[in-house]
Amino acid sequence: MGLLSDPSISTQNKLVDNLAKHVRKVCCGLYVLGVVWLGCLALPEFNHGTYLSENALSPGLVYPEIRLDANRLAIQLLEELQRERKEHKSTTPHAWIAAKLNEFGLETHTHNYTLRYPFGGGNEYHGKNIYGILRAPRIASTEGIVFTAPYRAPSSVHPDISPSVPLLLAFADFARRKNYWAKDLIFLITEQEQLGMQAWLEAYHDGDRVLNVSKAYLLPGNLPARAGSLQAALNIEVQDLEVDYVDVKIEGLNGKLPNLDMFNLVQRIMAREGITSGYKQTARKKRRSSPSLFEKNLRQMLAMLATQSSGVPNGNHGLFHRYRIDALTIAAAKRQTHATLKGSAGSAAVPLLKAIEGIARSLNNLLERFHQSFFFYVIVNNDRYISIGDYMPALVALVACAFFKAYLTWSTLDSEVQQAAAATVKTAETQTGSGSGSGVEAETDSDTELEDGLPYGSVLVYLTAVLLIGYLGNVLPLQQYFLEIPMGAAPLTTSVLSFLTLIGLILPFVVVLPAGGLELLHVGFLLIFGCSLIIIGLLNFALGFFVAVITVPVVIALDTSEHNCNGSMRNLTRFITLLLNPMVVVYVIVLAMSFYQYPELKLDKLLLRAATAAMDASAYGLIDNVIYGNWLYFVVSTVFLPLWILCWTLSLSKRRDIADYSDYEEQQPRKPEPQTAKFKTN
Amino acid sequence: MDAKFYKLLLLGGAVRFYFVRTPLASLISDRVEFATPLNSQKRMKEGIYLLDQGIDPYSGDLVHESPLVLKALSGLFLNFPQWLPLIYILLDLLTGALLYNLSVRFVKQKLQKQRLERKNYAKDTEQLQYNDDDNYDIPELVLIAYLFNPLTVLSCIGLTSTVLSNLFLALFLYFLTKGLLLPCIVLLAFETVRSLYPIVLMAPLLLVFARRSLIGGVMLSVLFAIACVIIATASYLVLHSWSFLDGTLGFIFYFRDLQPNIGLFWYFFTEMFEHFRTMFLITFQLNATVLYLVPLSLKLRKEPLLLATVLVALMAVFRAYPSLGDVGFYLALLPLWKRCWKYMAHGFVVFTFFMVTLSMMGALWHLWIYAGSANANFYFGATLAFSTGQIFLITDLLFAHVKREFCLYNGQKIMIDGEEARILLK
Repeated sequence: MGLLSDPSISTQNKLVDNLAKHVRKVCCGLYVLGVVWLGCLALPEFNHGTYLSENALSPGLVYPEIRLDANRLAIQLLEELQRERKEHKSTTPHAWIAAKLNEFGLETHTHNYTLRYPFGGGNEYHGKNIYGILRAPRIASTEGIVFTAPYRAPSSVHPDISPSVPLLLAFADFARRKNYWAKDLIFLITEQEQLGMQAWLEAYHDGDRVLNVSKAYLLPGNLPARAGSLQAALNIEVQDLEVDYVDVKIEGLNGKLPNLDMFNLVQRIMAREGITSGYKQTARKKRRSSPSLFEKNLRQMLAMLATQSSGVPNGNHGLFHRYRIDALTIAAAKRQTHATLKGSAGSAAVPLLKAIEGIARSLNNLLERFHQSFFFYVIVNNDRYISIGDYMPALVALVACAFFKAYLTWSTLDSEVQQAAAATVKTAETQTGSGSGSGVEAETDSDTELEDGLPYGSVLVYLTAVLLIGYLGNVLPLQQYFLEIPMGAAPLTTSVLSFLTLIGLILPFVVVLPAGGLELLHVGFLLIFGCSLIIIGLLNFALGFFVAVITVPVVIALDTSEHNCNGSMRNLTRFITLLLNPMVVVYVIVLAMSFYQYPELKLDKLLLRAATAAMDASAYGLIDNVIYGNWLYFVVSTVFLPLWILCWTLSLSKRRDIADYSDYEEQQPRKPEPQTAKFKTN
Repeated sequence: MDAKFYKLLLLGGAVRFYFVRTPLASLISDRVEFATPLNSQKRMKEGIYLLDQGIDPYSGDLVHESPLVLKALSGLFLNFPQWLPLIYILLDLLTGALLYNLSVRFVKQKLQKQRLERKNYAKDTEQLQYNDDDNYDIPELVLIAYLFNPLTVLSCIGLTSTVLSNLFLALFLYFLTKGLLLPCIVLLAFETVRSLYPIVLMAPLLLVFARRSLIGGVMLSVLFAIACVIIATASYLVLHSWSFLDGTLGFIFYFRDLQPNIGLFWYFFTEMFEHFRTMFLITFQLNATVLYLVPLSLKLRKEPLLLATVLVALMAVFRAYPSLGDVGFYLALLPLWKRCWKYMAHGFVVFTFFMVTLSMMGALWHLWIYAGSANANFYFGATLAFSTGQIFLITDLLFAHVKREFCLYNGQKIMIDGEEARILLK
């Protein structure tokens, strides 16, 4: 109980005083510890092998029954579809798909939705999904499993994945003949990539809700039939019936992941059917030097975190996570060479069909939703993972820097303010002459100054103003007034954001906080910074961690004290702070990506292209936010931008001159606000 | 009672009035951190409707509000539902005003007492003594702490009946400082029949009104018991049934609703084996009521109001269905002990704890209930840390008080053999 019942009378704690001298060293130590800890997790000693927690799944317990005839059907359907595709260059052959589903004896429905694109004066797009429900013979439509295949028209810029539809249909035909289904199976073909999926999901879950038509951007409509609560979903993206390898995609909206059991299930079944499959699986290359296991693990881990951090799902499965449905995508790549062909072309799709059947039958066994295994994990290898308890300490160590520094800054705050106040009293005395009366007055003033001298009120107002700027960035681009301007989404969003950034840039020059205010703002900033990073890290670890890795060094380097100001160090901090502006960071990321993508471009062209791409990125962020509920844009504008403004203010450390300050003090001997927040900090 | 007092009241009212009209209000009234089975507005509405229809509200498992409150508010709820937020805001402002008046009186009493004892104080302790400025500062701080604490503001706009509990507690404390016995006993009896735990506040009441006479104490206890019986009978007359006793007090004591909240009960009672339930029930309820009562009363016998503050705070931590509104209430009482703050070493840590855990609760609740990826353990972790922070605060306050008392008589700097002295607790 020593922590609570400290027996010393003095309020000065020696340990804290000593530590305060070495804040930077301790913080740097914590930072290095956090980063190294995350690196260490790639070592086999620090991560664990995957295992199936949910016994009900029992993968591979039954022999697959799907045979060559299904494969034949798939090939035949693919040929038919190719013919249809020649007629439908930029649309989906709805009629053909619906006819096929009907022919197999499924309950077939179409779903219409409308997108009201808000920018540039507004525009409307319509779309149509088709789905067939196979009612479970053994249960009363209380639970369902979804199998989806996105359809891409030939005019699409993305790779052709039309064979997914025949594959899905062939499996539907097979499933129709079986009587063991305990959950309704939904076979869904969506169009327009994620938009169709999102509309279908929204219609499935909130279709009955009356929308505020003027405010809603995606009008999902309603569905004519449903199949109970959805337990799991499998999205199939197949480039060709002949499969080289399968890439299992799991990252969903806002960095959410399906249950680890689902991933393990897919891996097991794929392995059983002899398909090369894995997380971020790529074609086998002939490598001269194979990297060490550690390096491979680390790459895989960082790649996963990078995908997660944007919060944009990398497949249609990602949208299911929002509705608490575990889902993943199996993306099968086309076989490039025919040299290692195992079977004849006539049975090429059989392993994949068997795998889908196996997954379906395992999911069919589920007694309750996936809940046994992890939802928070990082995959380091196809059969190794890191759980939340192991990776969270890395983030905590980084964030602890902020809290630690905040505590030490706060504990040394009183003494610093006392010194500052003493200095003011001295200057005040010298200015007012040696009149004894005024000296006494100044003395009493400084006494009250010592007790509640910190300008809580003005700091609080400053914080609120800064937060308001960030909030505006979230609200302004969607105001009716701005939407009616005939301007594209990208220039509009960018101009609003740059305007707000500019305000933030100028703010510290216009508003100068009273003495002690800067230190207090520093403490407040550190607390808000730490708190928001913890929360962001809980919701999306990858985003929180990367932001922490980039920003924590600057936060450690920030120093607002007047004395011992090291000029070059301070200027360096200011420069780096400028670089860390959210908009600059977005630009740099986009620049790096376009450099990676188009290495042949010249620098000036590259810079220009990256600029337009960054503008587009901010607009997409906003659109993703309003349509899919991706909160990256919200976080950047409402959390990171204000934090950056605060950081900028602190790195500038503008203060009033002592002379100005004492003038000010004489005009207003006692400010009324200072007491506002004192209580709150206690 | 200067212009500033009214300005602050108006501002506090304006803040509440603004937020009660935003979508935040309905969100808060559904949040488990603010609305518990005892104080949720929806349940109150249900109870009033049932009572109006002549159905026993306690026959189901929804309503746990005292029948007297239901009856008193039924006219308002049924006929003028649109005025409801305004009434709640006014009641909350009234609480703030009562706290302000209470602290004015408290500081005056302190100053008076100090004048008598001053000759015994050590020399360099002006900093620890109440001075004339405190006449204005402390009540203002109390008022600000109540009116602008986000916890009380949110609790008020969520229209939880914690607003009423806070009002009654503030009234009780006000009459306690004023020295009016009868209103004190009636209010305490009412709150006890309504939500059980306030019974511990009998200790400060006895310390104020029956300091040295055992007979007086016994008399007061009997009086309190009679008041309780009268209030229970009044409730019976409203309802024509005794079922309300089980519906309110029984519901609290037996902890029948396991809905998560910021307290410590729900997690343990969902996890434990059923046949140990009775034992743990008694342990937990003892912890929430009498466990700290006797030692604290002995130690703080000279400071009944501090005792009341600490008991209210402990109640907010350990009661069966705590809500953040309760926490906001006792936080508002802390500025009364402004002269102890010098020795409160953990203020900053507690503030950080509160900030981090409160924001984590929102995130983890989202992950648990909506996203389905986290689970009860995560959320309980956050609430446990929040409770720990509160305990830190209460302990810190008690230690600070003890240190202040010591230093007041012995001086702030005590050197023994050239080293700073340390207090040993023996």
